[in-house]
Amino acid sequence: MSDALSGSSWDVERLLADALRPIDPPQRLSGRVEDTLAAVTQAAAEELSDWAEELSDSELRALRDPRNWVRPVVAAGAGGVATGALVLLELRRRSRSKSESGLRALGGGLRSRL
Amino acid sequence: MSPPTENVEPGDLGPAAKADLDRAFEDFYRNHLRDVYSYAYYKVGNHHDAEDLTEQAFLQAYRHFDRARRESDGRPLRPWVIRIAHNLASNYYRDRSRRPQTPLDNADPIAARHDTVAIAEGREELRRVMANLEHLSDDRREALIMRFALGMDNREIARALGRSDGATKVLIHRAIKQLQEEMGDE
Repeated sequence: MSDALSGSSWDVERLLADALRPIDPPQRLSGRVEDTLAAVTQAAAEELSDWAEELSDSELRALRDPRNWVRPVVAAGAGGVATGALVLLELRRRSRSKSESGLRALGGGLRSRL
Repeated sequence: MSPPTENVEPGDLGPAAKADLDRAFEDFYRNHLRDVYSYAYYKVGNHHDAEDLTEQAFLQAYRHFDRARRESDGRPLRPWVIRIAHNLASNYYRDRSRRPQTPLDNADPIAARHDTVAIAEGREELRRVMANLEHLSDDRREALIMRFALGMDNREIARALGRSDGATKVLIHRAIKQLQEEMGDE
């Protein structure tokens, strides 16, 4: 007779503890997740860096309009918060000789969306 | 009582703070990889999708880790990351319009999951309890997975499921009772 059957009732908790054991992840998974994290962060950083370099003065002016914030927000979303700083730093660097008020607003807008 | 946290995003952190955050996430990841993978595996029933879900869960966790850490107020973050995995698994089913491929759908389900002496002996009762587990509602089944596969206590399960502690206690009690009744009926 099974140890899990006592009288007419099953020791379900004991059976569950036996059946639902933790599963060790495959060895390859650990490296895969780490590689993905690194790749996503790096790819997003490069994309954002290229994008920021490509901006013309007129585009920078256009970005002060909240209706034009979709692109940077989508790009930043690809890398998440890890790359959010890059967007802001790049924009801030480009804008040092320009008007700062609009970019400050853009930075605030991005921060609120990351 | 801790002071209110400022809404500082990781992007605003200096290099040292960012490095600290990354180190913390690395520890978090290593400490919880098996939990997330176990949960994902019991949810989807195959290694391939469990790996995908685990990877996605940690990517999402990384994006929000700093905020979660600040808002956790010292509480464990395991329920938080399991909740991320739970939400991803729900989307997985919704997007693909399919139910979990439970190990019971496989020819040798339990043996495919873990190799124990009991399983090697082919204990029929394990197969039966797993079969009946699939008859439970999603929330009851998930609570039992969290309790037995992950070793979470009621409070952690409550946070992962977004329920009160009391409601979670009742949920688990009813799940076990239902299993006992179904096992007894066979």
